[in-house]
Amino acid sequence: MESFALSLVKAVPALSGVPMWTVTLTAMVLTAAILLVFALTFGGLGSYVLRKVAGDIQVRIGPNRVGPYGLLQFLADGAKLILKEDIIPAKADRFLFILAPYLVFVGSFAAFVVLPFGVGLIASDLNIGVYYVMAVTSLVVVGILMAGWASNNKWALLGGMRAAAQIISYEIPVGMAIMPAVLIAGSLSLQDIVRSQGGLLGVFGWNLFHNPFTFFSFILYFTAAQAETNQTPFDLPEAESELVSGYNVEYSGIRYAFFFLAEFGDMFVVAALATACFLGGWHVPFFHAEALPAVWGNLLSLGAFLFKAFALVLVMMWVRWTLPRLRVDQLMRMSWKYLVPLTFVNLLGVSLWLLLFKGKGIPQMIASLVG
Amino acid sequence: MGLKQYINDIVEAVVTTAKGMRITARYGVDAGEEVTQQYPEERREPSERFRGFLHNDVARCTSCQMCIKVCPVDCISLEAVRGADKKFVLASYVINIGRCMYCGLCVEVCPTKSLTHTSGYEKASVNRGELVLHFIHEDAAEIKARVARQVAEAAAKAAEAAKAAEAVKAAANPAAPDVAPAAANKPAPAEPQAKAAPEPEKKG
Repeated sequence: MESFALSLVKAVPALSGVPMWTVTLTAMVLTAAILLVFALTFGGLGSYVLRKVAGDIQVRIGPNRVGPYGLLQFLADGAKLILKEDIIPAKADRFLFILAPYLVFVGSFAAFVVLPFGVGLIASDLNIGVYYVMAVTSLVVVGILMAGWASNNKWALLGGMRAAAQIISYEIPVGMAIMPAVLIAGSLSLQDIVRSQGGLLGVFGWNLFHNPFTFFSFILYFTAAQAETNQTPFDLPEAESELVSGYNVEYSGIRYAFFFLAEFGDMFVVAALATACFLGGWHVPFFHAEALPAVWGNLLSLGAFLFKAFALVLVMMWVRWTLPRLRVDQLMRMSWKYLVPLTFVNLLGVSLWLLLFKGKGIPQMIASLVG
Repeated sequence: MGLKQYINDIVEAVVTTAKGMRITARYGVDAGEEVTQQYPEERREPSERFRGFLHNDVARCTSCQMCIKVCPVDCISLEAVRGADKKFVLASYVINIGRCMYCGLCVEVCPTKSLTHTSGYEKASVNRGELVLHFIHEDAAEIKARVARQVAEAAAKAAEAAKAAEAVKAAANPAAPDVAPAAANKPAPAEPQAKAAPEPEKKG
């Protein structure tokens, strides 16, 4: 961010009189605001698309009343949530009850910081990017557990406990499934991971097609990440058929909206991380976005990144309206008996592959054979 | 759990998921027809024997009060007066549709088929008064007064005719006994008949 501020000062001479820290701070706040607006818009439009996809799959129409094709439905919903009474149960733990939704939202929103939206479009290119995402999204579990506990409601508590067990269980396969990308790039920085997938091989430069193990890694990551973010086939924490609404059952109004937005934020983070680690991030196939002038390169790469991420989000919605919810024991069995061993085997496979073939993927080998 | 079973489980999970996803994808891409009917804009035609709101075709109603007697919830009431031609004239016919339970007994029992179920079913209203359907829009008292006047006129005419006939008869046969048209002279039951009250007299 400081380097960005420096370049800003260089580009606009009028800013040189202003103290450096103010410029940096302003840049930080602006970046955060842009990301926040993006996250909120994604949450809103995501909910619309989610309901439309549900309608299509279930041979219904979906929202179509507010605005053209119901496009403004999310604004109406948002206004409703803001205007609704904010109820705090009498016997709730007030402090924790109030704090929990913000913690959950921060946990999912903080991950946006390291998402590589484009060639230079990244709020902060941390050299421990992947690790940071894993760490900061774990904050969500604290918030959810807090919400479940503070509500003083048996359903909320059960939901919170389930969420804690589930998120902690699935943290391991998620981390292990994403490691192959880190191994190939030799860096935890998401920007480095994306750069390692470039080249003129186009689609085949992506980690997805690097070798068979990375392909399975992607699928394993996608499955485990859905479970980690409580997406529907694994949404036991809010299983409405048994727990009413789970950990957020006592929440209403704006506080509920935070849980809601956190859910969609998580959705995007999962899709974006999968895109960055396996689908070539912002790389446009057969095209060198970095070589373009900064503005066009950034715009093009942003478009490519969002396109891939949104496609994955659509797949998540598709999964959501297809698969029925698992039972708690099935969920745990899936994590510990299937996903964890498989991701370990996968990681081992990728490591051996990189060792044996000196870091070359199958497409690269074919390319070198051809000439 | 052997290794074979383990691998089988994984394969089964993947295959069944793919199968389900294919089905939902087919619907998601091309649903064929939507099952949703957007109610206020699109309405489904009620079926032939649908029991909607009651309607009384008052021109055919004979005020027999069968509907009143058969109604389990007492939602129908009527007032009728005997007219000059000895037939009952409806002064009011009221159905409290808010109380009606759409059993259809009144329609079954109606001898002239004047009472029917329509296909209407939309009657949301802000006060209960709107749920009381009046089938005769004239004032009941006015109708009664008019019928009484007609009856009186008819009676007067009949008396005149009788007198004339008597005069003719007297001229022909002065000793003949008086054969006055008794029915025309009889006063009509002008008092209002209460809802579901038993009819004070039989017709004819």
